Amino acid sequence: MSVLPRRILKETQRLMQEPVPGISAQPDEGNARYFHVKVTGPEDSPFEGGLFKLELFLPEDYPMSAPKVRFITKIYHPNIDRLGRICLDILKDKWSPALQIRTVLLSIQALLSAPNPDDPLANDVAELWKVNEIEAIRNAKEWTRMYATEN
Amino acid sequence: MEQFEQLLTCAICLDRYRNPKLLPCQHSFCMEPCMDGLVDYVRRQVKCPECRAEHRIPYNGVQGYPTNVTLQRFLELHIEITGELPDPTSGQIMKRCGVCSEKAYVTSCVHCEKEVCSDCKGAHMDILRREIARINNQVRRALHRLSDMLAGVEKNMLTLQQNCTSVTEEVDEIYRRLAKALKDRTEHLRGEIDRYLSTELKNLCNLKENLDIEISNIQSNCDLADKHMQSDDVEWEDSELMDAKEIFLKTVDFIRNFETEIGDYSRRAKFLMAHDPNQLVMHVASYGELTIHAPHQAFTASSNSLQAPSPGLMRSKSDHRLASQYRQDERNAYEPGGEIGGRVSPLGGRKFGERYQSRYSRGGDRNDYDADTTHDNENRSSARSRIRSRLGRHGLNENTDSDTDSRSVRFSETNTVHRERERVLDTEDVAKGPLSGITRLCDSPRVMKRLLESENKDKKSEATPKPQPQPVQQPKKVTPQATPQRQLSEDDEIARIKRQNKTASTSSDTERRDRVSTIKRDDSRDSNRSNTPADSARKTPAPEPLPTDTQESSESESEEDSVEVVEQRKPTPARTTFPPSTSAATTDSRRSSTASDNLASKVNTRLKSNRSDSIESTCSSETPGTPVRRNAGGTYPSDEVKQSPVSSSSGSTTPRARFSSVSSKRDSATPTNSRSYSVTGNNESTSKKEEIEDEEEEEEEETETSSESSETDTDEDSEDAKPKTPVNKGMEKTDIGPLLARSAQARDNGSGSNSSSRRTSQDESYTRSRYGTSGYKSPSYQSPREADTSSTASGSKYLNNTRTEPAPRFTSRFLKTKSIQEENPSKPSYNSDNKYTSDKGGLSRSRTSANLEEDLPDDTNTSTYSPYSKNHYGSDLSRSRSSHALKSRETSPDRPVTNASAGTGEKDGAALSSWARYLKNKYGNRGKENAAKDNAAASSASSSSSRRLSLGLPLRSNSTHVDSSDDDQKNMHSSPTSHTIIEAGMQGVGSTPRVQYLQKRQLLFKIGGRGSEPGYFTWPRGVAVGPDNLIVVADSSNHRIQVFDNSGKILKDFGSYGNSEGEFDCLAGVAVNRIGQYIIADRYNHRIQVLDPSGRFLRSFGSQGSSDGRFNYPWGITTDALGFIYVCDKENHRIQVFQSDGTFVGKFGSNGSKIGQLEHPHYIAVSNTNRVIVSDCNNHRIQIFDVNGRVISSFGTEGSENGQFKFPKGVAVDDQGYILVADSGNNRIQIFHPDSTFLRAFGCWGCGDGEFKGLEGIAVMSNGNILVCDRENHRVQVF
Repeated sequence: MSVLPRRILKETQRLMQEPVPGISAQPDEGNARYFHVKVTGPEDSPFEGGLFKLELFLPEDYPMSAPKVRFITKIYHPNIDRLGRICLDILKDKWSPALQIRTVLLSIQALLSAPNPDDPLANDVAELWKVNEIEAIRNAKEWTRMYATEN
Repeated sequence: MEQFEQLLTCAICLDRYRNPKLLPCQHSFCMEPCMDGLVDYVRRQVKCPECRAEHRIPYNGVQGYPTNVTLQRFLELHIEITGELPDPTSGQIMKRCGVCSEKAYVTSCVHCEKEVCSDCKGAHMDILRREIARINNQVRRALHRLSDMLAGVEKNMLTLQQNCTSVTEEVDEIYRRLAKALKDRTEHLRGEIDRYLSTELKNLCNLKENLDIEISNIQSNCDLADKHMQSDDVEWEDSELMDAKEIFLKTVDFIRNFETEIGDYSRRAKFLMAHDPNQLVMHVASYGELTIHAPHQAFTASSNSLQAPSPGLMRSKSDHRLASQYRQDERNAYEPGGEIGGRVSPLGGRKFGERYQSRYSRGGDRNDYDADTTHDNENRSSARSRIRSRLGRHGLNENTDSDTDSRSVRFSETNTVHRERERVLDTEDVAKGPLSGITRLCDSPRVMKRLLESENKDKKSEATPKPQPQPVQQPKKVTPQATPQRQLSEDDEIARIKRQNKTASTSSDTERRDRVSTIKRDDSRDSNRSNTPADSARKTPAPEPLPTDTQESSESESEEDSVEVVEQRKPTPARTTFPPSTSAATTDSRRSSTASDNLASKVNTRLKSNRSDSIESTCSSETPGTPVRRNAGGTYPSDEVKQSPVSSSSGSTTPRARFSSVSSKRDSATPTNSRSYSVTGNNESTSKKEEIEDEEEEEEEETETSSESSETDTDEDSEDAKPKTPVNKGMEKTDIGPLLARSAQARDNGSGSNSSSRRTSQDESYTRSRYGTSGYKSPSYQSPREADTSSTASGSKYLNNTRTEPAPRFTSRFLKTKSIQEENPSKPSYNSDNKYTSDKGGLSRSRTSANLEEDLPDDTNTSTYSPYSKNHYGSDLSRSRSSHALKSRETSPDRPVTNASAGTGEKDGAALSSWARYLKNKYGNRGKENAAKDNAAASSASSSSSRRLSLGLPLRSNSTHVDSSDDDQKNMHSSPTSHTIIEAGMQGVGSTPRVQYLQKRQLLFKIGGRGSEPGYFTWPRGVAVGPDNLIVVADSSNHRIQVFDNSGKILKDFGSYGNSEGEFDCLAGVAVNRIGQYIIADRYNHRIQVLDPSGRFLRSFGSQGSSDGRFNYPWGITTDALGFIYVCDKENHRIQVFQSDGTFVGKFGSNGSKIGQLEHPHYIAVSNTNRVIVSDCNNHRIQIFDVNGRVISSFGTEGSENGQFKFPKGVAVDDQGYILVADSGNNRIQIFHPDSTFLRAFGCWGCGDGEFKGLEGIAVMSNGNILVCDRENHRVQVF
């Protein structure tokens, strides 16, 4: 394992010192490139009240390539499939080294408030979202209650 | 402010901009590595991370983008405002690290001379630290030598004083006595003279008075007569006149006759001396002399003592003459103009801690308090350098380290670390050891600075909480000049500087104080400096005056040395008991061809023949032991020995026989004796084994046991005890060998050198013979006929002989060699060759003479061996006795057994019979040599007894010879010169293993690389040394054995994947026995295979399982001098022992971590003292067993310190008992003394030369070269 780049150290430091509201990211004890992330569901979204666990991994050539992020908590969202994979442009081709962990996580939080059923990953969810948004939102709330709340 | 900082932060690395490059979109990023990483090489584009704009990359890459100058200004401004330290890497360009090949800001590493990144550099510094720690440990451990020496010197001082006082007293006493005698005599003479004078004077006075009276009387008479007698004035009566006339007549008569002795009073009294006064005065004037015993050969002595005793510091002991010599050299080197040969002058105006040519060196950005002094120092030092050079305090270190110095051994590691690099610690400001030239680190300004810094840091950290008082507390730190360049990046430091800048007054104040303090320090250093020369002058007033002193001390050292040798020998009396026979034997074989012209003194002849006889008979009498033993098969621990009285007495036979060999022919001459041997010899070899160890442990006990055990014949018992004394005497004599040698050397250089050459050749022949092949490969050895003749008793008999004999012999021989060897190698460098050789000759002579015959006169040096050799074969005595011994054996009840066992051994052409064949062959040669009986013996199908008779004689002579070995003879037959060639080859290399090991570090050569073609390896595991130093490698994953010659040239390879005969499946261990057969641990086939020297399959044994004789992944394998095969049965966590034919003999060890238990034993080695050394891999230790599987010792724990292991794998032991361990987890080789104490370690992880990745087997050649399988690097390295 090569030495941790300064950038990761700095980012980690900053994440700990000035955490983003509603987002927490803890580096793994054994692997400083692996983060345990928790994101609260944004207000006025079907995910409000939920606490979503994610995992985030910084690949070897980070920041030149995007971090790998995945939802661990099940979530009903058109851009997130049932394996937790996220369809988010900045995690793919729109990645830029100027982005950071915090910006990525903020983007994900934003994605929760603004689902984009036109660029779906979970097709059934997206379909429902488009056809019957109310029911979709209800489902999302249901899932949030089932999977993303304490106890 | 924060925003401002954010503007100065690169969005990619989140660090302060370094060399910001401006993209056309007006976004800036660091050039390296940020912008670099953005490059899309395929499209030659850069996509701005901020705005995603895509830009073409200029022709010359990202550096073609304009630098954002404004931003850079801001950066500078920011630095100025905040006082923040500049980025140390600013202005530098990233390069690939020479070690991890990552792109980074590299600096040159002094350790590896590569450009490396900071992380690797840190690692290297850690290595250096560890090395320093290790060496420091060594130094610490060895330091006691110096203190011992100090004590010795102090003692010497005391004794010298005492000596001088006593001499002075003596002189005074003599003076007093002489003075008293002189005074007494003088007074006496004076008295005499006075008395004489007074009496004489008195006499003369009387005479004078009387004469006066007479004269006056006569005068008056005359007057009266004139006046009154001639005239008639007075009436005289006739009677009166008559009377007057008579009176006058009387007067005339008186006057005429009176004769006083008016002699020559001037010479009356004479002073005669008993002696010629001049002479007397001379006598008195030189009435005594002061003889000062200057021990000669100081150099030799000191070098001796230096070499041998301990792995301590050698060079520090270097005597001052040497040092002064170096000084001289150095002065010569420096006076003309500083540097020669491009070598960097250690002085060169540099100070401690300066880098040669580094940016720190020129004072400009020196920081702290040093800045002021530096300049002064430089001036001063340059001014002073000439003076100092006269005082000779230059960096002796460097010079003594020069490559030519053979004594730099111990320091080679440190040196190589520092050599050719900046000598930051050695500067001329530093006090140096007057003898060694070792600098005192704490005098070095660099060190002082570092220490102070760290001290201050500590202090500071304590002090910072307090608001203001710092400046006063640490005046030294507050050099205003230094602030910009200051490297300390601590925040408080910055804060303090800021504070300082604000409060200028205080700072100037402190500055002044600082100055003062630095000046003071400077002064003190000055005084130091001026002191030290004086010191050194005091210690060594001049190179010359001291010699007597040091010579004495070195003399005593050498004595200690020899004592050490004695001690080494003492614990192994069995070995020392033997030298007479062995040395005699070796010489003998040599003599018979080369030195036959030597005269034989008859006394010697007889003596020797007797002795040799006894030896021979010993051997023959010992022989019958094995058959039964073999028969017993599993009687590995010798319980049976005690069961029968016979066998118990047999226990005593060995020592008895041995002693008899030295002392008298009584023993061997008595038929009963030898018969009793043959009868009692049943368990001899087993008990003997034990005894060897017993002997090793306690000499005394041995006699006891032997006396106890030989209840059957108490007569011999007493004999047992007696012969011991001569032996010991012999030993003692040997022990004083070096001393004798020195005295002898004065006497006869010529003969000394003569014998020395012979001696070395003996050594050579011996070492060679151990691995010699020619004997094994002799043509007749293969022939079936020979096998036949070797059948039955005779064959096994020979086997016996060699079985019982070789081990002790070897060692004795070798021990001796060693003791000499240890002394030798340093000599040439200090002595004239002549002295060297003669000294050695003296050594050898005294030793051999002591061993062979105590009464050998000095001058028969050259003829020492010849009579022996001549009589060796020819003596009727020996012949008759041999036949006797043989007959008696024949009648012995063991014989059938012998036959049977020999038969079985023969059946499959097993090693047993090949042993026999080989040995037989050997003796057959001997016979040829003797009486040309060879042909007759070989061709005739005569009875075995007659053959034995013909062979028996040479056999016996041979058995004393085992170490000289047949190949020795071969050489004599074929080419007498071959010896000398080999000698020449070997001598240079193989002399002092211990020293040699200390030198080990540099790779000699390496073999292979990854691959499957010949000469390449895939995961080499086991390695072994075959005859002629063949290198045999188990190329594990290529499923083959590869054989290289001793220079690494591939000779052959054999084996392929599979499970049939001669095929392997990931073989692991390999061993080569004495007859060149390959014994291979065929790991995944769970069997052992034995291949003949040409690689043909002979046999295999074992299969998977955990019962006796079965294996679970057999790994390491070895064989001992007797041909037993030891296998590390890895997954069964045990060692199994087999006979050379594969018969299970015994096992020891079980899974566990207790003493005696094993967990995954990997490799195994057996020393020639029959110590079985096992690498107990998962217990991270080495365990040493005896051949019966009892633990002798165990050493090592898990760790990476010296003497600790992480999964030790390969083990090897050299012929002196030094243990080499391939410490696989630590990727280093560790070497231990025979007593298991740590000697040294070298190597580290890596793929360079001398670096390892996963060590496996290790082996040592007879010349001390270390072979090691570097598994992951797929190569064998040789050191």
